[in-house]
Amino acid sequence: MLEISNLSSFHGDMQALWDVSMTVEDGRIVTLVGSNGAGKSTLMQSITGLVKPKVGSISFGDIRIDKLPTHRIVDAGICLVPEGRRLFPRMTVLENLEVGASVKAARKAREQTIDWVYEIFPILKTRSKQKAGALSGGEQQMLAIGRALMSKPKLLLIDEMSLGLSPLAAQTISQVIKRLNESARVAILLVEQDVQLALTMADRGYVMENGRIVGQGEAKKLLCSREITEAYLGMAE
Amino acid sequence: MNMLLQTVLVGVTIGALYGLVALGFGLIMGVMKFVNIAHGSFIIIGGYVAYWLFTLWNVDPYLSIPVVMCCMFVMGVVFFRLALSPLLKYPQAEMRMDKSLLVTFGVTWVLDNAVTMIWTPDTRSIMTSYAGSTLSILGGKIGLTGFLGLVVAVLMAALLHLLLSRTYFGKHVRAATEDSGAAALSGVNVRRTYLVSCGIAAALAGVSGVVIVSSYSIAPSSGLNWLLTAMVVIVLAGEGNMVWILPAGLILGLLQSLSTLFVSSAYQQPIALVVFILVLMFKPTGLFEREGT
Repeated sequence: MLEISNLSSFHGDMQALWDVSMTVEDGRIVTLVGSNGAGKSTLMQSITGLVKPKVGSISFGDIRIDKLPTHRIVDAGICLVPEGRRLFPRMTVLENLEVGASVKAARKAREQTIDWVYEIFPILKTRSKQKAGALSGGEQQMLAIGRALMSKPKLLLIDEMSLGLSPLAAQTISQVIKRLNESARVAILLVEQDVQLALTMADRGYVMENGRIVGQGEAKKLLCSREITEAYLGMAE
Repeated sequence: MNMLLQTVLVGVTIGALYGLVALGFGLIMGVMKFVNIAHGSFIIIGGYVAYWLFTLWNVDPYLSIPVVMCCMFVMGVVFFRLALSPLLKYPQAEMRMDKSLLVTFGVTWVLDNAVTMIWTPDTRSIMTSYAGSTLSILGGKIGLTGFLGLVVAVLMAALLHLLLSRTYFGKHVRAATEDSGAAALSGVNVRRTYLVSCGIAAALAGVSGVVIVSSYSIAPSSGLNWLLTAMVVIVLAGEGNMVWILPAGLILGLLQSLSTLFVSSAYQQPIALVVFILVLMFKPTGLFEREGT
């Protein structure tokens, strides 16, 4: 479904991604693990067109998306929950959700999608008239995911899902993501600092280091692999 | 007492115009983080269009507002395409402010000289049949043209507010104002939102030009004065704070007119600039910004 081949991206003059190739198949959860500064966020930004890749290609279904502007990529069915959530703090919860349904197809189904999001996150309904800036961290992450769901994505990218959340909130969110994937068949590409949590949720995992993919495989196998556990789970003997 | 009432009426009339003058400037600054020095030129061009419509075809200036708005909208769109859109490659607000300052200053130069060529450097104003008539309000007197200007200013501010709060486009504008990257990630066509905002800003500048040419006068060189006024009002209102622009204009107008009760009216302009500096020093986020928002 999402096919990235030989991608190289730059931040100014600095090369941040080197020859990255990966795939996300229909209805799967794929996770991207790696230390800070490994290039995970840059990859997410390259997929969504915020950073334009210099070399390589990204296609989604039948369309090539690496040259499209961001809103057209959203239109194609990819939506990113950005790192740090980036809500519109001076707008209400409801307005944040409405802006999420900006692409044409999503606009028609707006009312039903809002009800659907409220069903997934009932707390957002009770807060609908409040300013997004007044929400707690967990609620903000729910709103960020809700806003992304408003565009009816086929593939949801989540950058730093649990960063800054309480363990309880992180657990709630990860369960919701899992359920979304199972019931609504939304494919997920997840960047998560808690590698263990990420690998238990995912079907497949990719390991990034210094802007390169250095390992990949089934999530269960990665979870048992020695290098991963040593490098990222702090379980060195 | 009568004197005070009269001063307040004058202050409200001129203050509403100050607010109107600042609306378009504040829109571009809030949404795109561009400082549009050419805003003053748009104002006088709007005034000249109304002047032409009046002298050539005898169209009443207040009735010509829709036509002027359409012309200026087109001009704003062209302006965005030619001058502003190349600056969108700078993502940071500070960079955009710096670069746009220079670019739009150049545009002002070109526009003001073009205006001088077309309409000569003479001062122009529209003398309608009702230009001299006055209205009595609570015993105070107010010029009919000034009153109509007040009505137009309130109407425009209300329409803009409705547009921003009720429509899809308005929500896109506000989302792009807060975080253009996040707006794009939500599927908003940020570039088109900018383009239309720029058209609306120029149309609003045009409307204020019409009000100015029918109650005061315009000359090719007067754009910069109005631009300064717009800047003072935006600083009072706080950048990106569209709702408070008209009230901020009223405050400035009242301050200026009330000051004439104590000092000579020659000090009106300096008073605006002193307010500008004081607010920047002590309350740089504007008079109305609450803590934590």
